[in-house]
Amino acid sequence: MTCRAARLLRGFLEFVVIGLMVALATVVVVGVGFRKLGAALVWYDEIASHLLAWLTFYGAALAALTGSHIAVPTLVERLRGKARLVGAVLAQGVVFAFLAVLTYAGVLVTGSLSGITLTSLPQVPQSVVQSVIPVSGALFILAEILRLAGGPDSGERA
Amino acid sequence: MSLLALGGFLLLFILLGVPIAIALGAVAVLALVLGPGGFDALPNVALVMYTGSTSFPLIAIPLFILAGAIMNSSGISRRLIDFALALVGFVRGGLAMVSISTSLFFAEISGSAVADVAALGSILIPEMRRRGYSKAFSAAVTSSSATLAVIIPPSIPMIIYAVMADASVVQLFVAGIVPGVLGGALFMGIAWLLAKRYGIKRARRFRWKRVVVTFRRAAWALILPLIVLGGIFAGWVTATEGAGLAVLAAVVVGGAVYRELDRSALRKAVIDGATQTAVVMLLVAASALLGDYLTETRVPQGVATAIMGVTEDRWAILLLLNAFFLLVGLVLHSAAAIILVVPIVMPLVTAAGIDPVHFGLVVALNLGIGQQTPPVASVLVTACSVAKADIWEVSKVNLNFIAVLVLVLALVTYVPAVPMGLVDLIYR
Repeated sequence: MTCRAARLLRGFLEFVVIGLMVALATVVVVGVGFRKLGAALVWYDEIASHLLAWLTFYGAALAALTGSHIAVPTLVERLRGKARLVGAVLAQGVVFAFLAVLTYAGVLVTGSLSGITLTSLPQVPQSVVQSVIPVSGALFILAEILRLAGGPDSGERA
Repeated sequence: MSLLALGGFLLLFILLGVPIAIALGAVAVLALVLGPGGFDALPNVALVMYTGSTSFPLIAIPLFILAGAIMNSSGISRRLIDFALALVGFVRGGLAMVSISTSLFFAEISGSAVADVAALGSILIPEMRRRGYSKAFSAAVTSSSATLAVIIPPSIPMIIYAVMADASVVQLFVAGIVPGVLGGALFMGIAWLLAKRYGIKRARRFRWKRVVVTFRRAAWALILPLIVLGGIFAGWVTATEGAGLAVLAAVVVGGAVYRELDRSALRKAVIDGATQTAVVMLLVAASALLGDYLTETRVPQGVATAIMGVTEDRWAILLLLNAFFLLVGLVLHSAAAIILVVPIVMPLVTAAGIDPVHFGLVVALNLGIGQQTPPVASVLVTACSVAKADIWEVSKVNLNFIAVLVLVLALVTYVPAVPMGLVDLIYR
């Protein structure tokens, strides 16, 4: 069950980040092309910056699933028995507490942005753009749970 | 929250093994909630982190990684290796020199030392083993030349530094050229000496025909960085746009000209690249949270005043910063070190009259040396894993190359003309 959920989440996040990488490269290349042709696209750098933010947060959830976030190999690894358990629980507690705060803050922000749109593309609501924080925050929490539960590709932290 | 408590919590979280980005975010949240705004300030966490991750110059990171991934999945690396082998394969230690030269060349597109090792090491290390190189020698030369490649433009640590220090990315790229080429030449000398010491024979004879044939096969791949870097240095495109062009050029050369694109390898490389980008960018986003706090409390200015109170000598301060960054590089990944430390020391650097571009090279080299020294040595670990070699055995041989890196660092630090000569000539 856990394995299947981890595989599904991984497949979904991989699909999203590949799409974002391709979109980012396309927007930048098209943007340069149009600028060189003397018809600069007004939305190009704003959209590219938002795509980078989306790549950051969805990619961060994927990195959580594979244990790829940068950490320092340290104290906890040298401890034994109960002390090691306490250290690991504390560390994981900090991770979950921060992610919960980030997700909650994201919900508050997204809720307060109704009616506001992007400057260069008024068709795109800010609430949709900013939704990446609560959605990826929730996925990040799920990814941490699945990694701890020993999903198929669960890894040690880098 | 007092600065001491904040630093204490950050250190505790990091020592407990909390990912650094989350440790940064967690202490920033604590500082925010315990500050005058209290819980009402919570929405700022999402807003500041989001804004912190929308930096246009940093878009160059995923794009250069993507270009490198396409290059490596489309036979471009193999062609470059064949050409380098035809050129220097006849020299004693020629394969090690091929590793050095292709590493520097590959870095002109990918900008990432770990990607460099993974891409080239998987082809060259087995080849070196077949030709009688020891596991330790082949892993050491691959690992250290990938680190040297970090100062060859484009370089991901330099892009991050430029954003954190508000310095010119393009000038940083140009500043890396002379020290990079100089280091490459010295590396080749060391490779020749080591090959002689280990009794490694010449791999093949020199033949002009082989050079011409491999040059024809690699010609497009050789032109690729010239177009991209030429466009950036001439001011025709920004570094980010140049990275976009690098992707386009890699797709055209790898997909349309060579027609050797391995889609499954490319898919994996893109996912790895996206993850690598996200890991760095989450650090940037979390540091934006802490950055607000540091700006309010004027900590960096305090550090500058305290150190300037002890000495105002530019060279002494550079020596101090060198020692500090070498230590930081031992225990921190280079991106994390730049994001955490550079904003704190920049006021000191400015007050001491050190050029931020010059200092960027000093930082990149220091942290590059850190990538070669355990316990935290991502590049060395990757090379050892490809070569299936013991990290301590590799480190013994690697000391020769680290000595060269330290020599280049000393030259870059104390002879500013080495990195800055070209910058002054072109841009100032």
